[in-house]
Amino acid sequence: METSRLPLSSSIRGKLISAGYTSLSSISSVSSTDLARDVKITESEAFEILKMANQISGSSSCNGRSSSLVNGARNAWDMLNEEEALPRITTSCSDLDKILGGGISCRDVTEIGGVPGIGKTQIGIQLSVNVQIPREFGGLGGKAIYIDTEGSFMVERALQIAQACVEDMEEYTGYMHKHFKASQVQMKPRDILENIFYFRVCSYTEQIALVNHLDKFISENKDVKVVIVDSITFHFRQDFDDLAQRTRVLSEMALKFMKLAKKFSLAVVLLNQVTTKYTEGSFQLALALGDSWSHSCTNRVILYWNGDERYAYIDKSPSLPSASASYTVTGRGLRNSSSSSKRVKMM
Amino acid sequence: MKPRSLLSQSPTTSLKLTTGCETLDACLHGGFPCDSLTEIVAESGCGKTQLCLQLSLCAQLPISNGGLDGSALYLHSEFPFPFRRLHQLSRSFHLSNPSIYADHNDNPCDHVFIQNVHNVDHLFDVMSKIESFVKNSKTRLPLKLIVLDSVAALFRSEFENTPSDLRKRASCFFKISGKLKQLANKFGLAVVITNQVTDFVESSDGLSGLRIGNLRCLYSSGRRVVPALGLAWANCVNSRVFISRSDDSICQERREDDERSGSSYVSRRARRRFDIVFSPYLPASSCEFVITGEGICGVR
Repeated sequence: METSRLPLSSSIRGKLISAGYTSLSSISSVSSTDLARDVKITESEAFEILKMANQISGSSSCNGRSSSLVNGARNAWDMLNEEEALPRITTSCSDLDKILGGGISCRDVTEIGGVPGIGKTQIGIQLSVNVQIPREFGGLGGKAIYIDTEGSFMVERALQIAQACVEDMEEYTGYMHKHFKASQVQMKPRDILENIFYFRVCSYTEQIALVNHLDKFISENKDVKVVIVDSITFHFRQDFDDLAQRTRVLSEMALKFMKLAKKFSLAVVLLNQVTTKYTEGSFQLALALGDSWSHSCTNRVILYWNGDERYAYIDKSPSLPSASASYTVTGRGLRNSSSSSKRVKMM
Repeated sequence: MKPRSLLSQSPTTSLKLTTGCETLDACLHGGFPCDSLTEIVAESGCGKTQLCLQLSLCAQLPISNGGLDGSALYLHSEFPFPFRRLHQLSRSFHLSNPSIYADHNDNPCDHVFIQNVHNVDHLFDVMSKIESFVKNSKTRLPLKLIVLDSVAALFRSEFENTPSDLRKRASCFFKISGKLKQLANKFGLAVVITNQVTDFVESSDGLSGLRIGNLRCLYSSGRRVVPALGLAWANCVNSRVFISRSDDSICQERREDDERSGSSYVSRRARRRFDIVFSPYLPASSCEFVITGEGICGVR
């Protein structure tokens, strides 16, 4: 709500706006003494303004019954409804979707890490194709941003996965219309490639600049629903003489991603590498970028080998239970593994 | 900042450098990709250098024949450089592709630039000069391939086994890889790096046997091996291929009659196996090849 719509005298309104209080939420978060000092009005006038602002914000809330103590807060019931209504991006592997609660969730930052060759880039490409599945097929009908820091993205692989996705959709229309014949789908593999905004960054400064630019880019391309960074780590493992600076830069970047996810309701997927960490006198495997980075993501999935099978494990999540599931990488993309052994294990 | 259109290349495949051998090309879906770092891991004597020499010549082929229409920069850290073998391969290459050199009266060796590198600092020094080399070179063919043979030899003597030295070593890996990838992206180069193997020794933390890629264990000459430089380096390359030899797969004994001396001898060629360990676009596959006088030759 704008300050200009408050029933105040125009001189006071003018003073409020020129002091920077252009919206209702900015007024209600400040005390009357501070407001009086900032806007150069008397304290009683400031108090009147705050009372009016609170009354108006109280009556304009969505269903009228939430009296927020702190303006800008929402109650948990509304948030639960919002969250359940959020679509999720499928990974094309139903076991993996199951442990993820249906797929990669929007408005969250998910980190996926694993050894080289386990399938991180494959998951990234699969997600950038699957986000484009139209709504009538249960998808989001959105576009993807793919930030490639390593040069692992191969167009022919993306085309292969896109073709398989279109074929699956064509087969599905056959089932939907009950004639069991694959029929033409509007989307073509080339369209899918066109809807992936591909950025290649070759240094950490380029990476930071691009992340800062994403807000503007996504505002201009509102149908972007997933941002994939492959990998977040590569440029930060070169010599950073000051490790504290690296931590600061990384936390700023993580914060920007979280804000992007919340603001535009999109999913952010960060692919990470593994390294050996020297703890307690021995080397152990851990995701790269250190301990402080591990707090930067909402969800964390670790990919690993178990015998001859690839497995994904939910390492950290505020809402998902720890579980692991197996998957395979095929010519058509990510799929369920065909082994008959128990595929999804709850911990 | 604008995104790059994925459909800007047509057909929508990245440019590949043929290996000169159809069987290997089939495994690689065309050859070694440009704008990408590919690592060849093998024991000594398996054919890494042979393959790299062959690639340096194939780079000069026209794009329609699977080449890159370009010259090659061969950075070697192991001595001596096999000049005689390069000349031998170059002669047969010239004979099979006379049209490339006929108009300009040069020969394939003129387009392979050889630079030795002693250690890591020297490599950084050389890499900083590559960009100006590419921009200012007056050579007929632009630089399209960089070979680094081998990366392991650069790190052999300089770093201890302490955690802090290993960290420093790891950050060198990422610096080298970052710089090479930047060059590859800027000029559309194919970059091929060779690496050695070390014997597998079981360690208490189980990390030395960590599986990376399609093969659970790597075997060569009957022993279990692991690629040198560890997990950190494995994160720095886009694709990894593994060449191995086994003592018992000896192919074709051919009686070759030496006309001059009148004696006949049996030539034995050990078969080599070529495996895809990991790659962003290739399925797991393998094939076999032998090394002949003319170069690498696939075996069905």
